[in-house]
Amino acid sequence: MQENNHIIELKYLTKYYKGSNVPAIDNISLNIDKGEIYGLLGPNGAGKTTTISILCGLFGPTSGNVFIDGMEYQHSREKIKNIIGVVPQEIALYPLLTARENLTFFGHMYGLKGKELKSRINECLELFGLEKNANRRIKTFSGGMKRRINLIAGILHKPKIIYLDEPTVGVDVQSRTVILDHLRTINKEGTTIIYTSHYMEEAENFCSKVAIIDKGEILTVGRPKELVNSKPEYTDLESIFLHITGRALRDE
Amino acid sequence: MIRLLSSIYKEFLVLIRDRAGLIILFLMPLVLIIIMTLIQDATFRTVNEVDISMVLVNNDKDSLGEAISEGLYASDYFDIVEEIDGEKITEEKARELVARGKYKIGVIIPERATDAIRGNVDALINKSFKSFNVPGLKKRTKKSTINVTIYIDPATSVSFKNMVMSSLKEFTSQLEIEMFFKNFSEAMAQLMPGQNPIEFESFETIKYEQVYASTKEDNIVPNSVQHNVPAWTMFAMFFIVLPLAGNIIKEREDGSAFRLKTMPGSFITVMFSKIFIFLGVAFIQLILMLAVGVYIMPLLGLPQLEIGPHKIALGIMALSSGLAATGYGVTLGTIATSHEQAATFGSVSIIIFAALGGIWVPTYVMPANIRIISQFSPLHWGLNGFYDIFLRGGDISVILAESAKLLLFFVIMLIIAVVYNNYTKTK
Repeated sequence: MQENNHIIELKYLTKYYKGSNVPAIDNISLNIDKGEIYGLLGPNGAGKTTTISILCGLFGPTSGNVFIDGMEYQHSREKIKNIIGVVPQEIALYPLLTARENLTFFGHMYGLKGKELKSRINECLELFGLEKNANRRIKTFSGGMKRRINLIAGILHKPKIIYLDEPTVGVDVQSRTVILDHLRTINKEGTTIIYTSHYMEEAENFCSKVAIIDKGEILTVGRPKELVNSKPEYTDLESIFLHITGRALRDE
Repeated sequence: MIRLLSSIYKEFLVLIRDRAGLIILFLMPLVLIIIMTLIQDATFRTVNEVDISMVLVNNDKDSLGEAISEGLYASDYFDIVEEIDGEKITEEKARELVARGKYKIGVIIPERATDAIRGNVDALINKSFKSFNVPGLKKRTKKSTINVTIYIDPATSVSFKNMVMSSLKEFTSQLEIEMFFKNFSEAMAQLMPGQNPIEFESFETIKYEQVYASTKEDNIVPNSVQHNVPAWTMFAMFFIVLPLAGNIIKEREDGSAFRLKTMPGSFITVMFSKIFIFLGVAFIQLILMLAVGVYIMPLLGLPQLEIGPHKIALGIMALSSGLAATGYGVTLGTIATSHEQAATFGSVSIIIFAALGGIWVPTYVMPANIRIISQFSPLHWGLNGFYDIFLRGGDISVILAESAKLLLFFVIMLIIAVVYNNYTKTK
């Protein structure tokens, strides 16, 4: 019965980039249940971005299988794209367009239109405290405001799964709190969240489950509190992370 | 459909809100076309050998002076001046004007030049008829030489100098023959009284027929406007490759392309919206540049652009050229990994295409081997198509071949972009 609850299944996933004999991810198998806030944690070059890219359908694995809500990209690419929402680390918005114009465009790309789209945009803008700035161009926004619009663009169509790549990087505490609070709300409504971050404290508090990845392999998986409790000599997730991945500096 | 329309609208907003970009796209080509046409106008006039400026000083006031003057005026090649501010130009003044480059050539017919010819003809007749003792024959025997001086601007082409010299020699010979025939006829009348005098009748025994070996460009020599307007319009159209490629690269760098790739809809939808908008840019560029050729160029003393009667053919050429340019931009933007790479490769490749395509130097003055290579430049196809319409009055059937080549280029570019995009998915 547990297996029926998996919204994402990675089976023996390996990825070699062309020209490289070192795998970016090496024989990874992972199940993510519906409704989880799942943290993919790892140092630079660990394989997080490669995993997320494969999960988003940006490119395929060298070997292994990916099932998203029971579907595979080879057979159901468009269906999968309709149930996922992606929030890239970059501010993937058009600076010369207003917040509303950006969201209208991305909404249209998800097939939303008319009153449904308009009301969804208003709802999201209000939720993230941006309704008064709807008609301002993105280039005039602060970093935190841009992050919030960046997030809204990925959740407008109420996806079943949201991929968040460092959603709070470079924002102030207020914006971070707003973003994480609303993500929790969305999660409670049934959306599964896949999240990457370098902020271990944030991950510990935000994620229901985490996988620590390094050198293309999954080193450990578990609920943050369980991981911390399992090693009494460490007080938090960050110290466990450092223990598992080492203190050596990493290059991309 | 909503995805395509929304994508087109987004591209439109991005374009119109980038004011600096708009100036580069629309104003710069207009400035370029005007400057290039003004610079090249003199060269084209020389190549075309039309309206060559000439100072004529006719001090003879007799048959030779009249014959040369009439002959030169009757020719279409010369823009002749004999007076300045109501005053007859002197030989000294003529020399000074040519030396200063104000006129390309000065022709000075000396005083009593006709008398000299007349004397030489009389001497010849006298020599021919001296054994017949013809009464009334002028007893001249001494031949004399007169100098018609020609001052030449050193910048004048050799072919033009030769043409002037041969024209003057022809006028002089014609007059000598006429005088000889007239005096000969009078002498014969003296020798054989009662006979009707022989009338001199000029008759061209051998006619020279000029037939162009090719029906293509060899027989077409455009003026500066006819060349520069379509040439630089093609150049400007292809330069939209840079902002278009930049637009694609920027989306990739700021993560928008990543986001778009994870959304429903295909790569083709996104690219078609860009092609649509930049095709519109190319059309507006064309209209503005043609308007400059028709309305602004004449105000600057340049020839007016004749668009010709076949507007649909013009539209097809504009569409084909615009698609070729945008296709190239999409491919460049898809393959190039940075703005610097796209800008450098894009601009250099367009300049090479332009050079080979006859944008700077018309292909008809290029060496034969380069002319063969130029056949592979899309700018050459476009330029030739516009030549067909503007110079040859060509209709749709005439421009079909050029248009087809440009459309094929567009399709090939698009296929390369799609294949490369799919290839990156598997890397």
